[in-house]
Amino acid sequence: MSTSFTRSQPERDSLLLKELSELVEHHRAHCAPYDRILAAAGFRGADAVADLPWLPVRLFKNLELKSIPDDEVFKVLTSSGTTGDVSRIYLDKAAAATQTRQLGATLQAVLGPKRLPMVLVDTRSLLNDRRSFSARGAGVLGMATFGRDHVWALDADGVPDLAALRGFLDRHGDAPFLIFGFTYLVWLHLYEVARDNGLDLSNGILIHSGGWKKLVDRAVSPEEFRRRLARDTGLVHSHNFYGMVEQIGTIFLEGPSGGSLYCPDFADVIIRDPRTWREQPVGEPGLIEVVSTLPTSYPGHVLLTEDLGVVHGVDDGDWPGKRFSVLGRLPRAEARGCSDTYREAA
Amino acid sequence: MRFRFGDPGELTAPSADRLTVGDPRVVDFLSRFARRLLAPAVARRHPELGSLGYFLRPAELTRAAARLERPDALVFPRGNVFHLPPANVDTIFVYSWALSALAGNHNVVRISSRSAGAAETVLETLNATLEDADPVIGRTQRMVTYGRDDATTAALSAWCDLRVIWGGDEAVRAIRRHPLRPSARDLTFPDRTSWAALSVPGWRAADPAARRAAAAGFANDSYWFDQAACSSPRAVFLVGGDPDGVAEEFLALVGEVVAQRGWSVDAAMAVEKRINAYGLAAAGAVTSMTFPRNEVTALSLTGAGAAPRRWIGAGAFPFAAVATLEDLVPAMNRQDQTFSHFGFTPAELRAFAVALGGRGVDRIVPFGSALTFSAIWDGFDLPREFTRLTTLDA
Repeated sequence: MSTSFTRSQPERDSLLLKELSELVEHHRAHCAPYDRILAAAGFRGADAVADLPWLPVRLFKNLELKSIPDDEVFKVLTSSGTTGDVSRIYLDKAAAATQTRQLGATLQAVLGPKRLPMVLVDTRSLLNDRRSFSARGAGVLGMATFGRDHVWALDADGVPDLAALRGFLDRHGDAPFLIFGFTYLVWLHLYEVARDNGLDLSNGILIHSGGWKKLVDRAVSPEEFRRRLARDTGLVHSHNFYGMVEQIGTIFLEGPSGGSLYCPDFADVIIRDPRTWREQPVGEPGLIEVVSTLPTSYPGHVLLTEDLGVVHGVDDGDWPGKRFSVLGRLPRAEARGCSDTYREAA
Repeated sequence: MRFRFGDPGELTAPSADRLTVGDPRVVDFLSRFARRLLAPAVARRHPELGSLGYFLRPAELTRAAARLERPDALVFPRGNVFHLPPANVDTIFVYSWALSALAGNHNVVRISSRSAGAAETVLETLNATLEDADPVIGRTQRMVTYGRDDATTAALSAWCDLRVIWGGDEAVRAIRRHPLRPSARDLTFPDRTSWAALSVPGWRAADPAARRAAAAGFANDSYWFDQAACSSPRAVFLVGGDPDGVAEEFLALVGEVVAQRGWSVDAAMAVEKRINAYGLAAAGAVTSMTFPRNEVTALSLTGAGAAPRRWIGAGAFPFAAVATLEDLVPAMNRQDQTFSHFGFTPAELRAFAVALGGRGVDRIVPFGSALTFSAIWDGFDLPREFTRLTTLDA
């Protein structure tokens, strides 16, 4: 049993309310813009996790929000956004260590305690490209620390490296090994190669993330993805995850039976009705709010995303807590004005 | 190159056709175009086209042409006019094209490929009207869609006597890279900001019906184009007296209007408003923000100087209180276009306009008229811009 997916919802609710309320006060005391936002919103205190004041995640693209002095900034994480704006997330040493540790603990739920041999479904040359490095490269590098004896599934030109894969499987294929990659790369460059060349991935544990949009365009649903990987390559241990740089270290991981994402003990999701802003009941889609106790160096502990999702059930799945799905992105607002707004929408 | 209206062919070829200022063939065409726009089915679908149809009714066209006559000069068409409306064409460009056609110009209008909705209806209606119009209309009035083709833009820029650029600062800068011929000039419509002002004593003196009417007019000004038209109010100034409770009462009435009309803002717009409102709060420009309903966002500004010039989202209303209209003068600048008002005396408004001295604000109009196009726009007398003068000393 995992160390990270243990708390039932009632247990989680009371612990998170206490810890997150403390974080609210901590950030109010150390981040003046955050304090001004809460003051303007008239926030007085919360009786439930869903009453905690959330920040729109896009604010991290527009504002510098941090709760540590400049000389304690240890790492600045950036993510390239769809609009070209970049989120800036400020970590001090302690926060950086905590996020790595908690990410490890979360992954242990499916990987076990030991580092496994690892296939990276990407190209090493990804790390040379300074532009894409911040987003995809950082994800790959971050995940690489949870494996050993790495092999890249794609060569420098982004073409599947069948020899490297065969060599890896010869050495490690008869015991559990880790596969990591972006969902569409796994489908395009690992699944098809493994299927066409009869590679045996049955000992693989796949961790994958990234939007489904590119796959939806090819008519591949999450269920189809799992089913065909299992049928054609033997790979049955497949875990999608949902996470973002604005809440680094927190990932919502797909359970062993597939179909739903779960919240680690230090995190949760609230699905909000974008009209009433109230929490949606189970089964009703809405905007995903992600909460996590990890952000101590910046006020990212309660964030409203622009992703749509739905909670399928509570304390009734592979692991305790809520299980949910991500349904896709909320289309950006486009106003029909005469001038400057077009530029923003373009 | 897609011809959306008018005869296909070389756009910059010399033409033997000559129109006059107030040419009867153009007046006839525009009148019949207007009648089609005013048909109930069209007006229901696109209320803004109803206003356009009203603007183009024959009596108004004749009056506009007559106003151009002057005792000291002969008035002629300017010549060739090249129009570049905003990417997401709204109806304003039709007004400027129609006035230019009425002035007797040969026109080429570049219609964005992203045009949709009301613009498509405009084009359908224009084409339907063309079927039994004088053929000179199709030969002299053309609307085309073409991609990012610098060569075409350059050729049309070299062809025209007047280039009309809508769509904000960036569009103006981008188009200006293409030279005009020495005698030609630009008529530009850059980024603008507009405001609303509410007299606190005027509000308190108004009866409930007048207050409701003010809220209804303001709601039209704000919601018809998602508060993003250049003349939609971006912030509301509460002027004079103790403003306590006025903004709340006003917005409650606006909320009622919005509910009655069945207007709603979509989820993305609601999020957009939060992001911008929180950003203003974080920057210290806003001291309180409330979201009485999704369609209405209320913000209290620290002062008139903190009023945001950029778009915040549909139904976002920052309020600032000042003692007198004159106190707003330092906060106004050349970017400011429409100043819509409620509850002031004509004398107060005139004193304000005089104090501004043309350094900012082009239009001062009552609530409900912010979006009403007029032949004088952005400080220009458009019919005059579309004509040229010949003097004759016999």
